[in-house]
Amino acid sequence: MVAKFRNPGLYRAGLYTVYAVALAYAIIWVFRTWYSLDPVFKGEAVLELALFLSPLGFLIGLGSFSYWFRWATGKPTIPEDHSGHGAHSWRDYFKVNTDHKVIGIQYVVTSFVFFFIGGLFAMLMRAELAQPGRQFVDSSTFNGLFSVHASLLIFLFIIPVFAGLANYVLPLMIGAPDMAFPRLNALSFWMLPLGGIMMLLSFLAPGGSFASGWTAYAPLAVTAPEGQVFFTIGVQFAGASSIATALNFLVTIITMRAPGMSFFRMPLLVWANFSTSLLVVIATPFIAVSQFMVFFDRALGFNFFEPAGGGDVLMYQHIFWFYSHPAVYIMMLPGFGIVSEILAVKSRKPIFGYRMMAFSLLAIVVLGFTVWAHHMFVSGMQDWIRVPMMVTTAIIAVPTGIKIFSWLATLWRGVLHLDTPMLFALGFLTMFTLGGISGVMLAIIPVTIHVSDTYFIVAHIHYVLFGGSLFTIFAGVYYWFPKMTGRMYDERLGKIHFWSTFVFFNLTFAPMHVIGIQGMPRRVADYAEQWATWNLMITIASFFLGLSALVFAYNMVASWRGGPKAESNPWRALTLEWQVTSPPPIFNFDAIPTVVGGPYEYGVPGAVHGVLKDAEVPTPVGAAAHGESAGTTATKDEEH
Amino acid sequence: MSEETRRLERTPILPLVVIGVLASAIGIAIGLVIDWFPTDASIQAKPIDNLYDLMIILSVPVFVVVTIIVLFSAWKFRMRPGEEQLDGPPIHGNTKLEVVWTAIPALVLVVLCSYTYVVLTDIEEAQANEMRINVTGQQFAWSYEYPQAGGKPVRSTTLYLPKDRPVRFYVKALDVLHDFWVPAFRMKVDAVPGITTRYRVTPTRLGTYPVVCAELCGLGHAVMRSTAKVVTPADFDSWLAEQQAPAGGADTGAGASDGDKGTKAPEIDAKTIFAEGNGTSIACGACHTLADAGTSSQTGPELDKVLKGKDADFIKTSITDPEAEIAEGFQGGIMPKNYADTLSPEELDALVKYLGEVAAK
Amino acid sequence: MEAAGISASVALEHHDDHDHHGPPPANRSSRVDSELLGMLLFIISEIMVFGAFFTAYFFIRFVAVGHQWFPFDRYELPVAIAGVNTAILLSSSLTLHWAQLSVKNGNRFGLKAGMLLTSLLGLTFLCIQINEYVHIGFAPQENAQATIFYGLTGLHGAHVFIGLTLLVMVTVRAFRGHFSAEHHHGVEVPGIYWHFVDVMWIVVYTTIYIL
Ligand code: HEA
Ligand code: HEA
Ligand code: HEC
Ligand code: CUA
Ligand SMILES: [Cu+2]
Repeated sequence: MVAKFRNPGLYRAGLYTVYAVALAYAIIWVFRTWYSLDPVFKGEAVLELALFLSPLGFLIGLGSFSYWFRWATGKPTIPEDHSGHGAHSWRDYFKVNTDHKVIGIQYVVTSFVFFFIGGLFAMLMRAELAQPGRQFVDSSTFNGLFSVHASLLIFLFIIPVFAGLANYVLPLMIGAPDMAFPRLNALSFWMLPLGGIMMLLSFLAPGGSFASGWTAYAPLAVTAPEGQVFFTIGVQFAGASSIATALNFLVTIITMRAPGMSFFRMPLLVWANFSTSLLVVIATPFIAVSQFMVFFDRALGFNFFEPAGGGDVLMYQHIFWFYSHPAVYIMMLPGFGIVSEILAVKSRKPIFGYRMMAFSLLAIVVLGFTVWAHHMFVSGMQDWIRVPMMVTTAIIAVPTGIKIFSWLATLWRGVLHLDTPMLFALGFLTMFTLGGISGVMLAIIPVTIHVSDTYFIVAHIHYVLFGGSLFTIFAGVYYWFPKMTGRMYDERLGKIHFWSTFVFFNLTFAPMHVIGIQGMPRRVADYAEQWATWNLMITIASFFLGLSALVFAYNMVASWRGGPKAESNPWRALTLEWQVTSPPPIFNFDAIPTVVGGPYEYGVPGAVHGVLKDAEVPTPVGAAAHGESAGTTATKDEEH
Repeated sequence: MSEETRRLERTPILPLVVIGVLASAIGIAIGLVIDWFPTDASIQAKPIDNLYDLMIILSVPVFVVVTIIVLFSAWKFRMRPGEEQLDGPPIHGNTKLEVVWTAIPALVLVVLCSYTYVVLTDIEEAQANEMRINVTGQQFAWSYEYPQAGGKPVRSTTLYLPKDRPVRFYVKALDVLHDFWVPAFRMKVDAVPGITTRYRVTPTRLGTYPVVCAELCGLGHAVMRSTAKVVTPADFDSWLAEQQAPAGGADTGAGASDGDKGTKAPEIDAKTIFAEGNGTSIACGACHTLADAGTSSQTGPELDKVLKGKDADFIKTSITDPEAEIAEGFQGGIMPKNYADTLSPEELDALVKYLGEVAAK
Repeated sequence: MEAAGISASVALEHHDDHDHHGPPPANRSSRVDSELLGMLLFIISEIMVFGAFFTAYFFIRFVAVGHQWFPFDRYELPVAIAGVNTAILLSSSLTLHWAQLSVKNGNRFGLKAGMLLTSLLGLTFLCIQINEYVHIGFAPQENAQATIFYGLTGLHGAHVFIGLTLLVMVTVRAFRGHFSAEHHHGVEVPGIYWHFVDVMWIVVYTTIYIL
């Protein structure tokens, strides 16, 4: 028992968390006695400090830093024996593990847990909104519900689930044995649930959960009850996690590609994550700082956002949106990558206009930094900023359009395999276009002046985040399920999931456009009688939407446990992750593969993307397939 | 193989184009027929509504193109039994096509942005003879102030506007962000602590319209409502004159305030405090209905009804410590808790007395 | 096209001649070293952290209502002392450079002395900074100018602290006999961070104290 608490692991992590809280008390005691402040243990101060310290205690206890501590003090480090690679039982998923595949699964599963919690909050919200007036929750709880709903789904679901999927497949795709910094990778994962748990714990705070929306505008966030700091600090951990992962992706992509994999032979998923990671590295510090400023204003009485002291309220929004607009592309670009993979494979055709697909991603990255103030058209900022921001925002529709049309052209004359991943990808094409169009409407200043802060925005949010990002996530999870688990999912349940999601998604969110334009504001627990019918309908549809998510959950759990064994390459895909077993061997490849062609050469006779071993490898096991590939390798070599 | 030949045939585009045009036409028609917006009651509303119609006309075809190609491909190019191993033609791209689908959206957006610019300058244009109204947002009530040349400004918790007279709102916030929005006028702007934001509106239609707070401002955000009344210029003038008249004097049944006048504190006028606030305090009328003070808001309990038979102590506690007892069907945390500070003890007593008397009637 | 590459079972088969229990070494697809690249990217992130604070500085100094800047009323900044401090920090970059040159030339004394000196200079900088806070005569709570002054210098101070921790780690390892003419990565990478902290100070100093 003692050993359990002494060795790295969850037990010790728990213990250290307690230590950290005690430390917080001690520091506050020393400090406040020193300055003879009263009371000595100011609840808020202890809480705030504990919120910073206890996650660190947890991480240290878990062993995330063990290696670095030894390294830093110049002690001999424990040589890597790769015992941390691979997971042998479910328990291994609860340990610090440096294998990118284990981390990928940890990420995906964790973020889906937060998806269901966030979705459940949406259900509670919809229940309250079913009728005008107040029924289930008071407005403090309601405001908390939508704030936590959005924060969990954005910071703990969409962003990390993409990071998780990419964590799993990206090193495989570029022919790398692991990520560039495996230990950092593990640390980024473990910071994540801490941020999420913190946000959930806020419901226990006096005065209720943080309730100023996921945007946490000052000065409301500065004056709100204590629950707010759970967001302020929780976001720091989620943000640090995503910066660390992004660094890792960038370095991995730049320095660890297999021989022959030039940038323009990378699968588009890799391109997408490359672009996303650039966004994360550059933009995420801004939200971290914005929350630090709120924190300082709250806890120490600084004047960043205090007009009476010369501070500026709108500054918060500029800093926040300078992150959070790029963040919406952080939540979309990896999905673009997933869809590119799926559409090419499932249409049996090369991606149409591969180079433009890559360049348009980069264009979105650059443009994404020039549009932040389109969230501030009615904020009272300087009038002249609006038109330039409207123009840049509109321009973003062009590279996005290039992508959409190129995908459509990819479908054209292909051989479409309409299975679940493909259905979600096709659903994405239409639904994201709708969401994008409502986005363009929002860019048009006079229209936004009317619909800003109404349910029209809520409709836009969900069309792009649910119909866009989440559809691609579902597509990606189905698509890589065989690779990640070694089992096939149930296709029939998958189709049921798609159709029910598609139908009820639209029934839930389409009417929101209408009530938004009619004038129903967002973020209200109560609304005028005239919208009662619409809201009742939305609520009912949303419950069915919730049920459809349960179909997905059942399919995943049941198939993981008892689905039929998956072949290594059920989709006949060319990219490297499909050329190894399902699930891949512990070290991905025995020898680093060589890349000899583009990733999407479907329909090109005898095309090969990568070969797993040097051509002289003697063991031709898979008879025909292998013979053919060896032959084509030769042809390719001649070409060079 | 017939399958193969079927796949090699050129796909006819024309029927698709026809369907697309038809679907777009239907879509646009439906989009234009639906009455999306609330009543339009300002000259700003029309251009915005028209702009929205233009957006419908431009965006329906975009959606139709995408959807039709997806549906058509899913139907026409779907994998049929026996084609499991088949691959599509290795088309890698087509520069001409890519130029086209870059240029067309760009063009559409140029048109849209240019037209928007025209609309924007149009709706924000300065007008002759503008009336200034100061709007103040605070948790959780709006109050309005009509500056009077050389006189005390007129305060109100209901927004009165003369028809066809251009107004310019000067919007302020006392605590956190709010957003001053009259959906019928289409315009809104945040009330930002520390700065004054503004916008223009010219009401064009008589009627009563909701005023909404559209920026999350805390617990009472959902109930931070008030009313805008667009009245004829004549009515407006007489309303203004009535407000300007020495408080209490011109009133008819204001027994309580008259009584106050007679006794100890002649300058305290409880009814004005109720209806307009004392300059620091939020007007009670911003949230409560009280027939005698002419207020009609529904945010808090209707005091005419709930105060029947209540004693002065209850009323006083309700004002100074609203959380002490939460009125049924309402919610704590909304009524300001600082009346003990913003009202002087004399004002408070006068208010309690006044309420006790009017409510008893 | 058809199944490219070799079927998975081949990939699984272990070859005894390799006899490794770890993954195959990754292909190096870039000349840039991965730790170096990681550090550079991290520094980009750090620059953005400062960028966000500079945004706040910009708003408070130029946009906010009643904006003004030091010196005003009784609020003055000790430009000269901070200037001395700047010189100290800059010289620490030189000593660091010396240490780095030394390790490349196999001069262990130079490495140790250089690292020690750099750390001490960094520490001196921090102490002077703290002393400045103590004697400056205003608190961040007083107004937004004070807030952003403490915010930016404090942020930078925090980075000096992080950099100093890295330097101390390098110093400890140097004294424990790590690093050599061939392997001096561990000096190089933290060194870049320290140089970054220096350069950032010049920006902070110029914008806050001088301009
Ligand atoms: C995944 C997330 C995501 C994505 C991808 C987008 C994409 C876009 N968003 Fe959205 N947005 C959000 C998430 C997202 N948004 C969220 C969460 C909010 C609310 C935040 C809050 O307040 O809580 C928001 C709010 C928001 C606003 C602020 C509204 C307000 O609060 O007043 C605006 C305004 O301009 C806007 C615009 C756009 C635009 C122009 C795009 C474009 O990128 C869309 C481009 C795509 C297309 C246009 C479709 C495909 C293109 C074609 C088929 C070509 C042809 C098209 C045309 C010619 C039109 N969004
Ligand atoms: C990726 C992001 C994402 C996702 C997936 C969702 C999913 C959903 N959202 Fe969310 N939403 C946001 C991001 C997202 N939302 C954001 C950013 C905001 C703005 C917040 C702000 O204003 O600050 C918002 C705000 C928002 C509002 C407006 C609140 C307000 O302004 O007052 C509403 C209202 O209906 C809503 C509803 C829903 C619903 C019904 C779903 C459904 O799709 C959820 C479906 C999933 C499940 C239901 C989970 C699975 C099922 C179970 C756990 C079992 C329980 C099942 C039953 C009870 C049937 N959302
Ligand atoms: C921002 C809105 C708001 C303002 C302004 C406001 N109230 Fe209220 N008031 C409420 C709400 C909501 C309630 C019900 C919840 C409660 O009891 O606290 C309430 C309750 C009351 C009650 C108790 C009713 C009962 O039956 O329990 C009284 C009396 C009252 N208000 C008087 C006043 C007076 C007098 C003023 C002005 C000096 C005032 N209120 C200003 C919102 C407001
Ligand atoms: Cu005031 Cu919302
Ligand atoms: Cu945006």
